[in-house]
Amino acid sequence: MIGLWSVPLLFALPLALGILSLLVTPAWRPRLIFVGLPLLTLASVDVLARLVLEGPRIYELGGWEAPLGINLVVDGLAVGMILMTTLVASLCALYARVYLRDYPASSSFFWPLLWLLWAGMNGIWLAEDIFNLYVGLEVMGLAAVGMVALRATPQALAAAMRYLLAALLGSLAYLLGVALLYATYGTLSMAGLQEAAAPNATTHVALALIILGLLLKTALFPLHAWLPPAHGGALTPVSALLSALVIKGSFYILMRIWLVLGPEVTPIFTAQLLGVLGAGAVFYGGWMAWRQHHLKQLVAYSTVAQIGYLFLFFPLVTGTGPEAARLAWDGTLMMLVAHALAKAALFLSAGNLILAVGSTQISHLVGISRFRPMSLFSFGLAGVSLMGLPPSGGFTGKWLLLHSAILSDQWWWLIVLFLGGLLSAAYIFKVFRMSFREGPQIDRSITPPLTLDVTALILASASILIGLTAHLPLFWLRLGSAFGAG
Amino acid sequence: MSLRLVSAALLCVAVTVALAWAVLDRPLPEENLPDRVAAAMPESGVDHPVTAVLLNFRSYDTLLEIAVLLLAVVVALALREAQPDQPEAMGLDNPLLRAVMAWLLPLILIVAGFLLWAGSYQPGGAFQAGSVLAAAGVLLRLAGVTTAWLDNATLMRAGLALGLLTFLGVGLLVMIPGAPFLTYPLEYAGTLILVIELTLTLSIGLTLISLFRLTPPYADDPDEAREQAGKTP
Repeated sequence: MIGLWSVPLLFALPLALGILSLLVTPAWRPRLIFVGLPLLTLASVDVLARLVLEGPRIYELGGWEAPLGINLVVDGLAVGMILMTTLVASLCALYARVYLRDYPASSSFFWPLLWLLWAGMNGIWLAEDIFNLYVGLEVMGLAAVGMVALRATPQALAAAMRYLLAALLGSLAYLLGVALLYATYGTLSMAGLQEAAAPNATTHVALALIILGLLLKTALFPLHAWLPPAHGGALTPVSALLSALVIKGSFYILMRIWLVLGPEVTPIFTAQLLGVLGAGAVFYGGWMAWRQHHLKQLVAYSTVAQIGYLFLFFPLVTGTGPEAARLAWDGTLMMLVAHALAKAALFLSAGNLILAVGSTQISHLVGISRFRPMSLFSFGLAGVSLMGLPPSGGFTGKWLLLHSAILSDQWWWLIVLFLGGLLSAAYIFKVFRMSFREGPQIDRSITPPLTLDVTALILASASILIGLTAHLPLFWLRLGSAFGAG
Repeated sequence: MSLRLVSAALLCVAVTVALAWAVLDRPLPEENLPDRVAAAMPESGVDHPVTAVLLNFRSYDTLLEIAVLLLAVVVALALREAQPDQPEAMGLDNPLLRAVMAWLLPLILIVAGFLLWAGSYQPGGAFQAGSVLAAAGVLLRLAGVTTAWLDNATLMRAGLALGLLTFLGVGLLVMIPGAPFLTYPLEYAGTLILVIELTLTLSIGLTLISLFRLTPPYADDPDEAREQAGKTP
């Protein structure tokens, strides 16, 4: 009967911790992670073990079958996202406990928001119902906006407001699409939609609204303008959580809905358009990242660029052969997980470097390599994955996407993969060049607490390790998907 | 600026046309969900289909929506705490208003209670009753009546969390016999739903009152507001 418990606990536990952290005194709020993190890790590992041993399954909430009730889907993709969230969010929480000591005013409400964000994300990963996904998006989105506003400076509030408006517009467009789909097919369950979906005008308008809304929430070029101020300006652990995990939520929904509606409904030209926008994001984001003067803004623009690679999924999976589609699935998910790990590591180590020199300017990093080699090492390891150098997760993901592009005769995406890697190298080395230069500016640095360096290093190492051991996670991620477990 | 306006107007027209096309050209669904709801009504524990959907068939959605409401208050609290000034003592010192309030308040409470009770067999329920309750709180504030329990932060937070906590607790408690999350046993379904609705009403009311009370006092003129902000260091 434990199996019944671990699935709902994935969202019930963070919800309960969120409420509890609101009720206890501010001094106790960070300490709740010592209860919450082990329990959530246990539940996540239990869900994985059951997936591997017993296969994917459906969890019927309230004992009601879909479409009357709401089902949860526990397949490879959902479990993979849950484990990614547990790893990244746990390390960010450990980082935040130490980091937020310098921000006593912001820290007291960081914890309830963190737990509610976590509940929203796990809700999204497990959802099988398109309206339930909307509610999950709202929980996650509102918590994320609140976290951006935590700093309470005029810039942070302006960024949060902009983020809120973009997120609301995105959610409303998505909801409108959901309403149209419900009116047409009479069901909100993805399994029901998969059976019933047919190419007609209403479905296409609904799909267009859903795509537009989710693109805005994922910040795909050219709808990315809200992201750099929100991600770059937030407190460091918040930046890491938002860039690594939150934007993946809306991408994940788009991916699921795209596959559910199937190739008859999803037009190839839309898939190509999404790929082109992705390519635009890779080039524009990379170029803008290289031009930044503030370290965290550079990392934020790097997210704009990296989102682009994920969107190569759509042209590579639509109307191509089964082998190319499977490679596209594997490659995209590898890129997604590797980016989550690497970007969290990059933000956390950037935060450490900023703490060390006491400035957000990249030009003030001159000579820091002598004082903070460990922070710089984490930054570099994460950079290796973002550039796509072997043996990192970023390399494996790009390699799989490259194979998929060759197999489906879409050579033009190779240019994106290759030039994108060069651009990433340009902005990562921009930071490195400055830090290895010997200059007169600084002769001392503040030593950040060890926890901050260790958490960043674990995440950076994980982004490399996932590339070395890619076979097994990719096998698990395929469980229960249309791409088979072969 | 005008280019922006024109493009925004064009976009609005395009979306409207697309929506109209989508709605008019819509094939009718084969799946009939209202029929399924009607068929499952005897097992829901309530007599009104909307309440059955909200608190039994799709109770998980409602649970998360309550979490959204709580989140809104958490964000409001965080932003309020970041601003050093205290909420302004608001309210009109008007004896007539207070006299009317003394008559209105019991009436409002009765209406809220009725709406909550009505939810089990006709339109009504926790959200409606909570909003009416919130109206009473707003009126109290406008009349300048201060109540110790509304200003007590600990008590207020406990009240805000009560609804979600009860909902979550019931959802987990019914799992002990081995059923999935939020599966009410048939013989207790009506009672459990009533308990959840009761606590939700209180929490929803307090949520709306908090959002109203946490709004910082602001001047109508933005320049004046900036001046005031400049004066207080």
